[in-house]
Amino acid sequence: MNTASSDNPSVRLTGMADGLRVVLDPKQPIDFLQSELNRLFKPLGHLAINTRVLLDYGEAEEWEGAEEMTAALEGFLKESFGVGTVVRPPKKRREVEEILRHRDMDRSWQNHRSDVLMLTGRVRSGQKVTARKHLLILGDVNPGGEVVAGGDILVIGTLSGTAAAGQPDREDAIVLSLDFRPTQVQIGTIVAAGLPSSPTKQTEYAYVEDNTIVVEDYLEADPFGRLPWPEVR
Amino acid sequence: MSGKIIVITSGKGGVGKTTATACLGASLALLGKRVVVVDMDIGLRNLDVVMGLENRIVFNVVDAVKGKCKLAQAAIKDRRIDKLYLIPASQSDNKNALVPEDMVRFGEKLKQEFDYVLMDCPAGIERGFDNSVAAASEAVVICTPEVASVRDADRVIGLLYARSITPKLIVNRIVPHMVEKGDMLSHEDIVDVLSIDLIGLVEMDDQVVVSTNTGIPLVLQKDSRAGEAFKRIARRMDGNTDLPIQIPQTSGKFWKKIGTKFGLGR
Repeated sequence: MNTASSDNPSVRLTGMADGLRVVLDPKQPIDFLQSELNRLFKPLGHLAINTRVLLDYGEAEEWEGAEEMTAALEGFLKESFGVGTVVRPPKKRREVEEILRHRDMDRSWQNHRSDVLMLTGRVRSGQKVTARKHLLILGDVNPGGEVVAGGDILVIGTLSGTAAAGQPDREDAIVLSLDFRPTQVQIGTIVAAGLPSSPTKQTEYAYVEDNTIVVEDYLEADPFGRLPWPEVR
Repeated sequence: MSGKIIVITSGKGGVGKTTATACLGASLALLGKRVVVVDMDIGLRNLDVVMGLENRIVFNVVDAVKGKCKLAQAAIKDRRIDKLYLIPASQSDNKNALVPEDMVRFGEKLKQEFDYVLMDCPAGIERGFDNSVAAASEAVVICTPEVASVRDADRVIGLLYARSITPKLIVNRIVPHMVEKGDMLSHEDIVDVLSIDLIGLVEMDDQVVVSTNTGIPLVLQKDSRAGEAFKRIARRMDGNTDLPIQIPQTSGKFWKKIGTKFGLGR
């Protein structure tokens, strides 16, 4: 059986800013590790109580019994020394993943190929505009005009025709217009007809909540204003 | 000589296309232009009655297009207004008697003879519409202040744009006191939706009924407000674009206002 040598012990204990860090060699049997922990924690006495302990298995990659061992050691430490929480170090990401993620948070839109169909002008009665994903119209949709999109529909103008967003089944889509007075709104499979139009021109948007279409003042609701950073939709 | 072919259309029926065609044709002729009005409503001939020329029809537009008669034989000359001609529709055929390609060729012939060719388009957007629009280079859309009419006009405007024709708008049958009360769409509302150039506003006028029944052109009748409005529109169409558009208003508005101030009237 291996014994702890002074320059490379199987269990090491170091202090951290907000707790203790225990580096273990997971290849050792659990009894041995427990006795080593016992040896290291005993001198701490009451200092160990309610501290945060980080279990670090060093170089060892994730292996099958890791969770069991963590649970066993956690139980042991809590019972014997009354430590607070036992955590594992955050999972290390592969370098590629790290780079990707960093860029994502920074400028997720940079490598995004847009599927937005952006049109200017007026969709007249009898005309139908279909977009594979989002649809943006700088202009108006007249009564009798029809706009259909796989994603959101934004009309920078008056929407008085029918709008079908999130076709065929995306219910997180929205329909927004500066002057919102559509004859019919459809989001995913949910249809709302005969929406009462507000007497004044105001920027409103429609979304789905509990299988019904809700229309709200966009500026008051500000549904995307609380996102921490810009995201690709 | 190479004239202009102007189609007068609306999509919806009964908004005053035929009346407008007759009035504009007469007005343009009064301005000294050679004008022919062509009734394209094949099978439902009306324009001849409105113009009071129904008892002089021998040949019709189908005969002229198919080459069964000469153009001069089909074009009936109006006796009251010089330089005004009518090519009537056939009452016995239907719209499929003509195809758009025939009309393009016929249009070329008409352009050689006349300054203005006004096509009275039938209601609807089917073959009759295709035939009327085929040869035209300009279009006038007639719209009344009703939601249904606006929607149909909107559709027609889309179809005209698809043929690279930029139409102009006439709002017909405005009832000023209803607009003031807010019971009728105002011409601003209509222009907002249709967003094309306005070339005239025509008031509701009882004289129109009298004129169409008697066959006396509206523009020859004195004190017909609609007739005057069409005359001004004709001048605008004839290049006098600076002529301001008069907005129909209730008469005696000033005294009525004072009256209502003192609690008289409504």
